[in-house]
Amino acid sequence: MKFTGNRALILGGSCDLAITLAQCMIEAGLFPILTYRSEKGREYISENLKNCTKKYSSFYLEFGNHDSIDSLLQQIGDEIDFMVDFAQGNFESLVASADVDRIYSYFAENVSFRAEVVKRVARIMMKNKRGRLVFISSSAAVRPNPGQGFYAAAKLASEAIYKNLGLELGGHGITAITLRPGYIDSGRGGRFIRAHTHEVLNKVPIKRALTKKEVAETILFYLSDSATGFNATEISMDGGLTAGK
Amino acid sequence: MDILEEITEILAEILDIENNNISPETYLIRELGAESIDLLELAVALNSRFKIDVNDDEIFLRKLRQYVTEAEQQDKDILQYLAEKLPFLMHKRLEEIIADLEGGPTLRVKDLISYVERQRDGN
Repeated sequence: MKFTGNRALILGGSCDLAITLAQCMIEAGLFPILTYRSEKGREYISENLKNCTKKYSSFYLEFGNHDSIDSLLQQIGDEIDFMVDFAQGNFESLVASADVDRIYSYFAENVSFRAEVVKRVARIMMKNKRGRLVFISSSAAVRPNPGQGFYAAAKLASEAIYKNLGLELGGHGITAITLRPGYIDSGRGGRFIRAHTHEVLNKVPIKRALTKKEVAETILFYLSDSATGFNATEISMDGGLTAGK
Repeated sequence: MDILEEITEILAEILDIENNNISPETYLIRELGAESIDLLELAVALNSRFKIDVNDDEIFLRKLRQYVTEAEQQDKDILQYLAEKLPFLMHKRLEEIIADLEGGPTLRVKDLISYVERQRDGN
């Protein structure tokens, strides 16, 4: 695969999928810059990429914390060629029982703050007249379970931000897509699948969960030069989960 | 190269026009036909060229009419209110702008120069 650019900002960089992606990027000659929101996250990245010293960097970024985005962008400077966005807070609640303050703070962190990050990174990319962004959404955005309404709403709102960015700046060399993975055997999803194996896999036409490696490789493809024709769109990678009833 | 020359160069490139079509008095939207995507590109270029923070709403006078309405609703002196909200513009220029509101978007090249000068001076 060929890539125009080298430095890839990975938001929400301490999740397993982000770390797998970082490993794939390093193998492909890219330089991942992973963000974490806690010391635990920083250590997790460091532990999992210990064989790749000097081939990546990691920085603190907490969604909702404006100082953290100022500091991050100051430190990494004006060289961002790619951005992959895994960041997403968790908020499971039935709509009619949700805490009102939490509703406001959740959207401020997961939609408004993300919009700020996208805006600022896009302006950096505009200076370089190139950039590629991939937002990692979820099949739950379009097929939520009870309790996932706010998560789905935040994902769909964020998808719209990325879609419009690709629409507005495609002519300036900056393109964006959303990837909606289905069940992945990784992290929280992996634990859920193991607890509900039969029920979950019965819904997926390919009768298996996705591996984090195959999702990471797919993201890498979507960052490559061959994939820039995909712009301002959402792509499902769910084994057919959302295609049927 | 002075600020006008640099801004002229940037505008000529973004709008694909000749440098000699641009003077401090030139209207960006009314005369040059700058669209929102051009203004975004201009903001990014000014930030990059002059190493200044650029607030798009301020530099492109996007809230001008809102400020005029607010001043009227609050029964405040419009000129003074605008001077507080748009501190990079001189009193004389604000008078000009108020007299020119009926004609459409009032943004001129000289407003960009004033903004850049103020931001560069760190005021």
